[in-house]
Amino acid sequence: MATLGTIQHEAPPVDIDNTHDDPRHRAPLVTGDNDFASVTTKVAQLAQRPPALWWWVALAIASSLAGLLLALIGYLLTTGVGVWGTNIPNGWAFPIVNFVFWIGIGHAGTLISAILFLFRQDWRTGINRFAEAMTIFAVMCAGIFPAIHVGRPWLAYWLFPIPNQMAMWPEFRSPLLWDVFAVSTYATVSLLFWYVGMIPDLATLRDRAKSRLGQIAYGVLSLGWTGSMRQWHRFEKAYLLLAAIATPLVLSVHSVVSFDFAVSQLPGWHTTIFPPYFVAGAIYGGFAMVLTLAVPARYLFGLQQIITKRHIDNMCKIMLATGLIVAYAYGIEYFIAWYSGHHYEQSLFVHRLFGPYAWAGWLLLTCNVAAPQLYWIKWCRSNPVMVMIVATFANVGMWLERFVIVVGSLNRDFLPSSWGMFYPTWVDIGMLIGSFGMFLTLFLLFCKFLPVVALAEVKTVMPQAHAPADHGDLRATLGDEVRSGGRH
Amino acid sequence: MPPVDDSLTGRAYWRSLEEYAGSPQFRDLLGRAGEAIDPDSLGYSRRRFLQIMGASLSLAGLTLTGCRRWPEEKIAPFAQRPEGRVPGVPEYYATIAQRGGVAHGLLVESYDGRPIKIEGNPDHPFSLGASEVWDQATILTLYDPQRSRSVAKGPGEALAASDWAEFEKFIQEQIAGRKGDASSGLAVLVEPSDSPTLARMKARFLEAYPKAYWCQWEPVNRDQELEGGRLAFGRSVRGRYQFGQAEVIACFDADPLYFHPAALRHARDWAQGRKSADEGRMSRLYVAEPTFTTTGSVADERLPVRASRVPELVQALAVRLGVVSGQAGPLNGSTAFIEKLVTDLQRHLGRSVVMVGPSQPAQVHALVWAINDRLGNLGRTITLYEDPAGESPTQTEQMRELVRRMNAGLVDALVILGGNPVYDAPADLNFAEALGRVKHAVHLSLYQDETSHRCHWHLPRAHDLECWGDGRAWDGTASIQQPLILPLFGGKSPIEVLAMLLGEPADGLAIVRETWRGHLGLNFDSAWRKALHDGVVGGTAYPQVQAKPQVAGVELPPRVEGEFELVIQPDPSLYDGRWANNGWLQELPKPLTKLTWDNVAMVSVSDAKRLGIKRGDVVKLAVDGRELELPAFPMPGQAPGVVAVTLGYGRTHAGHVGDGVGGDVYRLRTSGASHVAAVALSPTGGHSELAMTSMHFLIDPLGERTVRLRVGEKGESGMIVREATLAQYRAHPHFAKEEHGDVRLQLFEPPVEFNDPHAWGMTIDMTACIGCNACVVACQAENNVPVVGKDQVIRSREMHWLRIDQYFKGDPEGSPDVVHQPVMCVHCENAPCEQVCPVNATTHDSEGLNVQVYNRCVGTRYCSNNCPYKVRRFNFLDYHAKDPRGGAKPWLGMPDTQQDQMVDRLRRMVFNPEVTVRMRGVMEKCTYCVQRIARAKMAARNAWAQGQRPDALVRDGEVITACQQACPTQAIVFGNLNDPNSRVVQHQKNRRAYALLGELNTRPRTQHLAVIRNPAQT
Repeated sequence: MATLGTIQHEAPPVDIDNTHDDPRHRAPLVTGDNDFASVTTKVAQLAQRPPALWWWVALAIASSLAGLLLALIGYLLTTGVGVWGTNIPNGWAFPIVNFVFWIGIGHAGTLISAILFLFRQDWRTGINRFAEAMTIFAVMCAGIFPAIHVGRPWLAYWLFPIPNQMAMWPEFRSPLLWDVFAVSTYATVSLLFWYVGMIPDLATLRDRAKSRLGQIAYGVLSLGWTGSMRQWHRFEKAYLLLAAIATPLVLSVHSVVSFDFAVSQLPGWHTTIFPPYFVAGAIYGGFAMVLTLAVPARYLFGLQQIITKRHIDNMCKIMLATGLIVAYAYGIEYFIAWYSGHHYEQSLFVHRLFGPYAWAGWLLLTCNVAAPQLYWIKWCRSNPVMVMIVATFANVGMWLERFVIVVGSLNRDFLPSSWGMFYPTWVDIGMLIGSFGMFLTLFLLFCKFLPVVALAEVKTVMPQAHAPADHGDLRATLGDEVRSGGRH
Repeated sequence: MPPVDDSLTGRAYWRSLEEYAGSPQFRDLLGRAGEAIDPDSLGYSRRRFLQIMGASLSLAGLTLTGCRRWPEEKIAPFAQRPEGRVPGVPEYYATIAQRGGVAHGLLVESYDGRPIKIEGNPDHPFSLGASEVWDQATILTLYDPQRSRSVAKGPGEALAASDWAEFEKFIQEQIAGRKGDASSGLAVLVEPSDSPTLARMKARFLEAYPKAYWCQWEPVNRDQELEGGRLAFGRSVRGRYQFGQAEVIACFDADPLYFHPAALRHARDWAQGRKSADEGRMSRLYVAEPTFTTTGSVADERLPVRASRVPELVQALAVRLGVVSGQAGPLNGSTAFIEKLVTDLQRHLGRSVVMVGPSQPAQVHALVWAINDRLGNLGRTITLYEDPAGESPTQTEQMRELVRRMNAGLVDALVILGGNPVYDAPADLNFAEALGRVKHAVHLSLYQDETSHRCHWHLPRAHDLECWGDGRAWDGTASIQQPLILPLFGGKSPIEVLAMLLGEPADGLAIVRETWRGHLGLNFDSAWRKALHDGVVGGTAYPQVQAKPQVAGVELPPRVEGEFELVIQPDPSLYDGRWANNGWLQELPKPLTKLTWDNVAMVSVSDAKRLGIKRGDVVKLAVDGRELELPAFPMPGQAPGVVAVTLGYGRTHAGHVGDGVGGDVYRLRTSGASHVAAVALSPTGGHSELAMTSMHFLIDPLGERTVRLRVGEKGESGMIVREATLAQYRAHPHFAKEEHGDVRLQLFEPPVEFNDPHAWGMTIDMTACIGCNACVVACQAENNVPVVGKDQVIRSREMHWLRIDQYFKGDPEGSPDVVHQPVMCVHCENAPCEQVCPVNATTHDSEGLNVQVYNRCVGTRYCSNNCPYKVRRFNFLDYHAKDPRGGAKPWLGMPDTQQDQMVDRLRRMVFNPEVTVRMRGVMEKCTYCVQRIARAKMAARNAWAQGQRPDALVRDGEVITACQQACPTQAIVFGNLNDPNSRVVQHQKNRRAYALLGELNTRPRTQHLAVIRNPAQT
């Protein structure tokens, strides 16, 4: 491929702007002068080459924070949930806030991989792999909290309907039980979906692996993938079916999580808007987290031509759309509180903005209602720094939203004598930071050892995949269209 | 039951070895032999264990007699049961407890020889089955691991261990020789008591040691009241107030419903005159006081006034009623109050009570006697009894005289029987310094306290439940105090120590029987048994006094001047400080402030605003150069210019629980100004975090507005508190139900059918509730509710199943109304907690109880979140095993909150064996005392099975919950809702009954009865 080499010497801009909305031109999804081989090389070399220094530094920090989380869990288990600031009336606080936050983060991945897949949104291919990975890791972080937040975690398995000598079943009317089913189903399907989609790419890594260990590990993981036509056929059917199964889960899991609140009768929790509002919020927050990871990752891993500016732009637009739904839900909450004429409901919403946690209420509105409006401006969607700033606001905002819902509703309920403030302890804060540490640790390991981009899928959206079955020089045949990355 | 030392520590075992072998080496080896061994401090290393075992073996071999079996332990199922004993069925014994020298009749529940719960004695005229917080809490003191465990020699920080034999030797050498005229250097300081046996022993002691000085002292005394009576009648009298017959009650700086020896009876009688609101009549209570008291909190007309202005107020009343001639002083702002009161009193001649508190000067008491005489109350609503104090000088004077003698070197042997004068004697007398001049100071007390450490001998005192004695109620009705258990630590009672000083055997039973031999008639043994059984000896009241008060020439004392005046009161939880080491009382939310683990300087809201003082800001109080720093507490309804403080805190040798909690107000209290003193108040800039169980008053403006909306404006009904005046109630009898009506919407039938013949329910009458907290401690004692400590209360993790919500209504700078609303689990038929528990740990039973299954609970806390009453309590840490004071901080300054192997052996003796002790991570809440229900049902079923009753139904009154039993005003009624004749059904049919938050469709089984007030018509 001598010609390819000469083009690389011309040193075109690495980060090509493909966000134009010219209807005459379908925007390319892989920019630059890439073909199948160069894409494969770019992605696979991340797993093959020794990691960069920054990776080691980041891993050291992240894994120490993850270690902190594990240590704090040990402290919690030996001592009791009193190590947190949780109290009566605030029976739930940071752990549940963290749980809902992480579950929400976990929404973007499956949404990108399943729903966008069914809707034939081809741009998803550039980002779906690591968005899904993010989902898995977020669900893992989320899963920790409900398990350890109970008073006697060693008995938490009683929430599962396991036949037992006591002939005791769980309470099927309890939303916490629905949570158990919803989250475990979601985790299982997401993991399966992610893994199945990764099999062809694992085979690529297996074939390129130089070390014996790598060959064995990737070999086992790729389940004997040979790339035969029959395997491709089965693979695509399976992937489509899993996408169909995963799609309703995207909607159901956060709906069920919202039932934890909506089914109770506490003002601020007891509201029918919660399921759609939570799902929209989760997608909003999930995309914010994907952006938070994608924007730096495409520079750090040199993937600007695969995760293009258009991808970033699209994700910003989704954030803007879901952010508007969230803002609408906030508005409806306040409206209904006023319209209901229900004193306890009204007092709660006045307290949200003017009560002891007013700072959280206003910060929440700033982060989730005001900040995403910047994405109306194209410059804000294409400037990586601005994208990061708004996404960070959204991440903070989504955590705060759960804090405002959980603590903000519990701290002043019906009888004023029982009102009480919640103050986090260092363990609360340590566990929140630690969960980020765990999330990043897993993500960094994923970046190092697994294909961060769905190679097989990306190739299907490259023009080369749609070239006539001519085994000659593609470039000679297709001329300029290859250069622009367009697609037939 | 044998003393603990024998059964648990094996102390007798080691000591007997030492006695048999007599080996000093062994004594050294053991190191601590002779000293009382704390069973929990005996941690041996392996090496040490082998050393001791080796030593034991050789010593046992030497003497062949050392091999002894451990003391026998009896196991529950006897092969042949002793007659009259049923294992697991508690026995009840009548006895008494004394405070201020006055006896309270008690009924103590004992399991297998172990007292676990105290109730009031229903047959005792001044208890009528009710009890005070201190009656309830004394059981915890009985099993306090920090009680003194042996005779010890001082003075000093560390007392040297000794024993009773050595003390007897001391008596032989130093005291016995002083009989007769040589007794002049001897003095005895006792706590005042009306006990006939103590009086007899005193007489015998003074017979043997005629020149000894006998002194009585207790810091919370009624000196000025006594003086007032002497001033008016020329003799010592005490009044028995018949609140049941009084239609107008006026209290001037008096708290007859809480701080009075007859408070329980007062409360019962007073409540009768309140509950009669349903029949359209009601007594009216006027209270003028410097800061809120329990009585003031239920007043119909209340006037916040400086304590130093009360005498002028009383004088004005006397002038208006024509008791004294002359001109009333200016009544800045109090005129309306006095006018209303005068009108009311004149309309109810002979049917009113005017009362003044013990903190007011004697002259005011004399005036009030004259007022009552003029109103025709004496002999009608007030019965006068001869006071046993007789001619003796007041306690303050006695104390002053004792200190004078000690300072003059006239006392070289002082025997202090009870009390803690180093801590609580007037600051100006400097008792501690005077004590240093005494050559032989002996102190008998429950704890090695401040006084013990300055005495040469410390003697462990037997707890009231461990010794024989007797006492007399407020009207003189005598009771015999019988022990429930042998002294756990070999303590002795004051009368036994007096017997030792007389060279007689310290046999409490014989001493008390000797006293009563003459009084109980010919058939002594059966009369004695009857007296013990009943808990009262009939016909022993003091003689009544028919006298006319003379107040001519009584001049009011000069008024305390100054910007601020300090009002010193006993503490509603710790009293005078004797209860400082009692965790239940330390953590008891004080009435009106809801404060635990601290004492504060209460200032009026307007003063706080003016000085910029916030709750918890530390202020410096200075009285005549004596200074004390305390956190401030802006108190609604307190008179401006008043700084109110309570005694009992700032202990240094109270024990682990009480040491260093709060500030010592005794340092500001002098013999001349023991109740009111001019004080300088200045903010220090410091701040101290206060542990309150409820903080909804005086918070942010939005919160205050929300509370007002829910509770209602002053004089109005609110959403959660329904109230009306008597006139409104007459006009709208159904006001309590009008607010939301009956909301019974149901899409589907509830899953549980309440088809059982028993349907338990409760009512709480908020008109009768005075917020005295007796129910709170009773519940804690009955249900093994743990103490969590100050830091946990700050984190809102207190465990009380029953709380008394207090709401102030009206201007906090004026005189707000107070609502006491006791709230515990209301046992919703439609319980929000039940359907959200994922593991079915909280469910309904067929009798309507919302039951919490502890061993099924995994602790999600969802039930609490969904409980609109927030009555569920969670064991965030292993509270029972933990030290409420935080204890060791082994690592990084973090408190050791790790789970312990078990609860301290002694402390766990207080547990009610019928109630599960909950571990950490478990939710708990009020069960309606399900163990009492079960016991009553079993008894009923047994009776039915034996043909003694036609059915197995529990009769009304056979189940009494712990809170109900303790309640002095009988505000709580419990029973079977399926029994149309039960009291609870009658109460729920009451027009005042309403379901708290019933609009949530929870269908609570507990209903509250609305507050009715009876303000004067204007």
